[in-house]
Amino acid sequence: MSIPVKNDVLKNHLLAALPKQEFARLEPHLESISLTLGKAIYESGDKMTHIYFPTTAIISMLYIMENGATAEIGIAGNNGLIGSALFMGSESTSSRAVVQSSGDAIRVKAKPLQAEFDRGGLFQKLLLRYTQSLMTQISQTAVCNRLHTVNQQLCRWLLINHDQLETNKLVMTQELIANMLGVRREGVTIAAKKLQEKGLIKYARGTITMLNRKGLEAAACECYQIVIDEYERLLGEYIPINRNEYETAGNK
Amino acid sequence: MSVTALQHIPIGNKMLAALPAQEYQRLADKLEPFDLKFGETIYKPNENIKNVYFLNSGIVSFLTAIEKRSTLEVGLVGNEGMVGLSTFLGTTKSPNSAVVRATGIAWKMKATDFLNECRENILLSRIVHNYTHLLLIQLSIIGACNRFHPICKRLTCWLLMTSDRMGTGKFNITQQFISNMLGVRREAVAKAASSLQEKQLISYSRGNLSILNRAGLETIACKCYSIIKEEEQNYLN
Repeated sequence: MSIPVKNDVLKNHLLAALPKQEFARLEPHLESISLTLGKAIYESGDKMTHIYFPTTAIISMLYIMENGATAEIGIAGNNGLIGSALFMGSESTSSRAVVQSSGDAIRVKAKPLQAEFDRGGLFQKLLLRYTQSLMTQISQTAVCNRLHTVNQQLCRWLLINHDQLETNKLVMTQELIANMLGVRREGVTIAAKKLQEKGLIKYARGTITMLNRKGLEAAACECYQIVIDEYERLLGEYIPINRNEYETAGNK
Repeated sequence: MSVTALQHIPIGNKMLAALPAQEYQRLADKLEPFDLKFGETIYKPNENIKNVYFLNSGIVSFLTAIEKRSTLEVGLVGNEGMVGLSTFLGTTKSPNSAVVRATGIAWKMKATDFLNECRENILLSRIVHNYTHLLLIQLSIIGACNRFHPICKRLTCWLLMTSDRMGTGKFNITQQFISNMLGVRREAVAKAASSLQEKQLISYSRGNLSILNRAGLETIACKCYSIIKEEEQNYLN
């Protein structure tokens, strides 16, 4: 934990969108924290102490079934936050939050967070709109899980991650992906192999390299676009949507 | 509607009931009783939400279209909640549709009035925050349930949730309707329903469904049912 550098804080789009005055009020309460792959930020039912705004990390919200099976209900990277319960007047939630790509996040304690939220400025507006977009993400993930092939889901999931990474490389085990998608590890292996054969990704030693973004978009289900469009509709007026459009070697 | 007239109707909605009498009376002038008719669409996806509804009874479903041919129920509201929450979260358009799936009564309020009240009435806005949190949890659980649980358990869970909100164990409901809620084929609903019938937990013929053994259904339903129920009961504490 340390006092963050302002340029790093601004990597989170929600924080970057704040007017000067609101940012200045929050600034003394911001802490920078490094998060490693697989770390649980909080468990289902835990008392939550902080809200997290990822800057380079990606954090996944998982719902845990009674038999221990997990399914991802939402993802937050530099476009989002983890811990909406805190500004909704609750201290815990029913999901687990796990780091799915290591990196940094900015966190704020519950009290100063609520104080700024209750002022009713743009901060509140952004957080409420983000919550609405999260609802769409959760519902659409449910639809996707119900209907779409592991292959399509994997493409959707890779694209979401890609949008929030600074590179086209994602360090990730098949086991973790299986936990996110709520499928068997074997299902992920087969799907990843198919994408590799099509030249869309390269998967070696726990690193997935996304080679052809357009190809992944074509192979994904519509769920990816629906969630992106909804985020843009709600937050586009405050947050520049800069999706990673770069062409990679594999695409030339 | 006058305050006196309102006072003769019990406040069935838990959100409104959680307000102190004084705060509730402030709202009363802006509330209008509204009949929820089975099958009626409260709003379509991307339609402007002009009114919000606090349910006293009945059920409204949030439906997401699945590949233009069918729908899936991603969430539902009974007397614990409201329809039109998106307005509070900053948009007058909801990506889902809201459809009445059990007849009842709601208090209807203009969305603009609702937003003004939320701004002025900190208690109301807190209650709405709490409800937002509840809805996020409900959406997550229903989503995970859709993912993992076999249709028989989901149907059981769905019947119990429906029965709780309707206050009865008897309803008229077609298999096609259930299939549009659970996002599965009609045949799968028929099969699941007949297995519950064989166990004498329900009777179901010509669209008339009766719960015969509630305790039996509860043992079959996935835990999702009791988790959601508990969250709903406690969310305003």
